[in-house]
Amino acid sequence: MLMQLTVSGLSQGAIYALIALSLTVVFRATTVVNFGHGDFVLGGAFGVYVLVVMLGLPFLPSAIAAIALMFACGILISRGFIDPIKAGPHIGFAMMSISLGYIFRGTTRSIWGREVLPMPRVFDIPPIFVGDLVITGDAMIISGTVAILLAGFFVVFYKTSIGKVIQAVYQSERGATLIGINVKRFHDMMWGAGLAMGAVAGILIAPISLLHPDLGAGFLIRGFAAMTLGGFGSLGGAVAGGLILGVTEQYAGAYINTALIDITSYLVILVVLVVRPSGLFGKRAVVRV
Amino acid sequence: MDTHKPILKVDGIRVSYGKKEILQGVDFEVAPGETLCLLGANGSGKSTAMNAISGFVGCTHGKIELDGEEIQNLPAHKTFRLGMVQVSQARDLFPQLTVEDNLKLGAQVRSKSTMLEELERVYDYFPRLRERRLQRVMTLSGGEQQMVAIGRAVMARPRVLLLDEPSGGLSPQFVNEIGTIISALKEDGATMMMIEQNLGLAFKVADRFIILRDGVVVDGGTVADYADDHEQVVKSIYL
Ligand SMILES: Nc1ncnc2c1ncn2[C@@H]1O[C@H](COP(=O)(O)OP(=O)(O)OP(=O)(O)O)[C@@H](O)[C@H]1O
Ligand SMILES: [Mg+2]
Repeated sequence: MLMQLTVSGLSQGAIYALIALSLTVVFRATTVVNFGHGDFVLGGAFGVYVLVVMLGLPFLPSAIAAIALMFACGILISRGFIDPIKAGPHIGFAMMSISLGYIFRGTTRSIWGREVLPMPRVFDIPPIFVGDLVITGDAMIISGTVAILLAGFFVVFYKTSIGKVIQAVYQSERGATLIGINVKRFHDMMWGAGLAMGAVAGILIAPISLLHPDLGAGFLIRGFAAMTLGGFGSLGGAVAGGLILGVTEQYAGAYINTALIDITSYLVILVVLVVRPSGLFGKRAVVRV
Repeated sequence: MDTHKPILKVDGIRVSYGKKEILQGVDFEVAPGETLCLLGANGSGKSTAMNAISGFVGCTHGKIELDGEEIQNLPAHKTFRLGMVQVSQARDLFPQLTVEDNLKLGAQVRSKSTMLEELERVYDYFPRLRERRLQRVMTLSGGEQQMVAIGRAVMARPRVLLLDEPSGGLSPQFVNEIGTIISALKEDGATMMMIEQNLGLAFKVADRFIILRDGVVVDGGTVADYADDHEQVVKSIYL
């Protein structure tokens, strides 16, 4: 029972990890907390839905197209809505991202109404049995894809010269400009990458969940809870936080009350902020006196 | 090549922050291989002039030419790509990265193919950095950080190297070391424009100086002519 819950928690947590990491990528690069992110994650899911169900295209090309579309969307947001307001008050970014998310959500609602959209299953992999533990095909696909993606991400970030440049811009934008980096274009790219990574999460869950336009809010709060748990701004922390959150939800739902699943994220945020505000891997804020 | 043609030409630039005009028509030139020192009291607009050249602030009037090409109001990453490489007053290093990563990043955009040669060259100028190549920059002393900042700029093979107060906040020993390195760069043909408050250092390495006051250039001369008369220069700066 415990093992079974852990397995499904980790597969769920892999999705949260991806969402939290994609939020963090944008946050670290631009200091913008993207409150619209849940809706953009859903954008990936709706993208494949449209391409697969309505246009009849195969899943893999549809997924790639949806990712590319969300990447373009990220660049558009950066250029069209975030860069122009950078001279204004910082809270403008929060207002802007909330509004963009709601506009996105409202648009999907006006097209599909509030109905729930089922999508045909695409990953048809038989489950594996380890003793009396069942690992479903979906869990394998999701965890496998996320694991490969994360490994790729961290190798690029820490081991390549592109990663060094990204780390450099994270640490000093003026310093980056002094070595010839176009920081504005860098922000565009990070918005694109953030939305594309979020879209992958949406695409992975699209075939196994019932899609409806209001699903985004749940993604957003889980991303926030994972970030809080891992420590704001920590890339590794976002991943760890996502996995722990996924497992915690399963335990809380099974051992305490299923109603807890939906509020685990909020509870995690409350508890972490009170007990250890910097999270597991965040830097502790130094208070100067 | 006509050696009298300036590589950097600043022609009547004006810069304002809000309503306040900080530079009110500044002109000067730097010849290839020359080191020009910009002097002036605190707040006289020295860094502003340098930032206008490198593209961090815009000019409302005037022209800036790099080897005949107009570069005024180009963004800073573009002037860098053309070879206008700045060491800023705040240094702006990447504190969590190692010395070597900071240096390599200097070559990332302009001289990636020769990065390892540039690195050797920089370590030859700064043996102290070679010893600390794997140390994170945030753990270095101020003087060592200044060396990384200059080294990072040298990595980019600058056509004009802009140095904003290289001696700022350093102990006399480090000022000396930095002076020796700047002299070595000069020997090797670097063209430099530097801002310096330390007249000892300025007069050791510069060929020529100009003095900025109230947003205009009020005085200037060749260093050789004032070698024994720093007092005269100090008067021009502050009085
Ligand atoms: N971003 C800015 N916004 C508004 N005013 C500024 C800005 N940067 C500089 N100033 C003002 O412009 C004037 C010139 O500043 P600048 O930094 O160019 O002086 P400086 O000659 O380099 O001085 P220091 O020797 O102290 O470095 C100062 O009065 C400063 O307060
Ligand atoms: Mg200054």
